[in-house]
Amino acid sequence: MLKHTQHHKGISCEEAIKRVYDFIDNHLKAKARAELEHHLETCRHCFDRVEFEKLLKARLRHLKVDTESKALRKKIDELIEQF
Amino acid sequence: MVDNRTQLSLEDKQMLKEIVLPWVDDLHRVALQLCHDHCNAEELVAECVARACEHFTKLRDHSKAKQWLLRILTNTYISKRRTERTRQEIPLSIDADISEDNFSLFDQLSMPFILWWSNPEREVINKLMDEDIRRAIGSLPDEYRVVIVLCDVEGFSYKEISGTLKIPIGTVRSRLARGRSFLQKSLWHYAEEPGIVQSRTKKGQREHVETHATP
Ligand SMILES: [Zn+2]
Repeated sequence: MLKHTQHHKGISCEEAIKRVYDFIDNHLKAKARAELEHHLETCRHCFDRVEFEKLLKARLRHLKVDTESKALRKKIDELIEQF
Repeated sequence: MVDNRTQLSLEDKQMLKEIVLPWVDDLHRVALQLCHDHCNAEELVAECVARACEHFTKLRDHSKAKQWLLRILTNTYISKRRTERTRQEIPLSIDADISEDNFSLFDQLSMPFILWWSNPEREVINKLMDEDIRRAIGSLPDEYRVVIVLCDVEGFSYKEISGTLKIPIGTVRSRLARGRSFLQKSLWHYAEEPGIVQSRTKKGQREHVETHATP
């Protein structure tokens, strides 16, 4: 994909990008993870991509919802009574 | 909603309450994320609990109650939506043009080697409103919305999602990738509308920039 791929030893940018989601989801095995981390130390483009995906994931994680569930809990309690 | 009610003993009811009530907040939160503005979250939770009451005897391991309940919740949600769709012919919520599954918002926004001192793509994420993100999640097809909510909003692992939805881990992974691609494409539209991103970051120009900047 990008021309600066060849300058790095180890995995290519293409391979790095393929691993991004597994990486941010903490789902990468040790070796694959180490290879990617090494790539990220030397490739700004992929590093930025990872930071971007992490940031977006964090935004989703911190979406605020109002769950005032006390009233709902009471309703559920009553619902179970009917069975 | 529920016609053939099983006669649960007092003990069963007590047990059910002990199992269900601690998770009502979680169920409600997930229901709100799933429903967005097209269904009633409290109703969804109530339906989920009603089904849980009917199938109570199937739950053997009480320590897995949360997963069990979330599975019922997501299944209830998906089947509800299917029924609605056939009844009212609700179109698939994603535009026909959002069919590619490797859309990357980052690729749309990043301008390598131009701005070493700033990250325009990260600024875009920071400027998006919670409501934009919620709307984007709300616009995902149901199957994708469920995995995105469980993974990114609720913080479940692939294994937990696989167990909750009873789908293979490979499917979790591919739905996530596809869902994120959909999501990022929607966010791209939301970022374009109010001018959070300017036309200079549009694709044609970016590629022009890239070829010149690549060493
Ligand atoms: Zn790279």
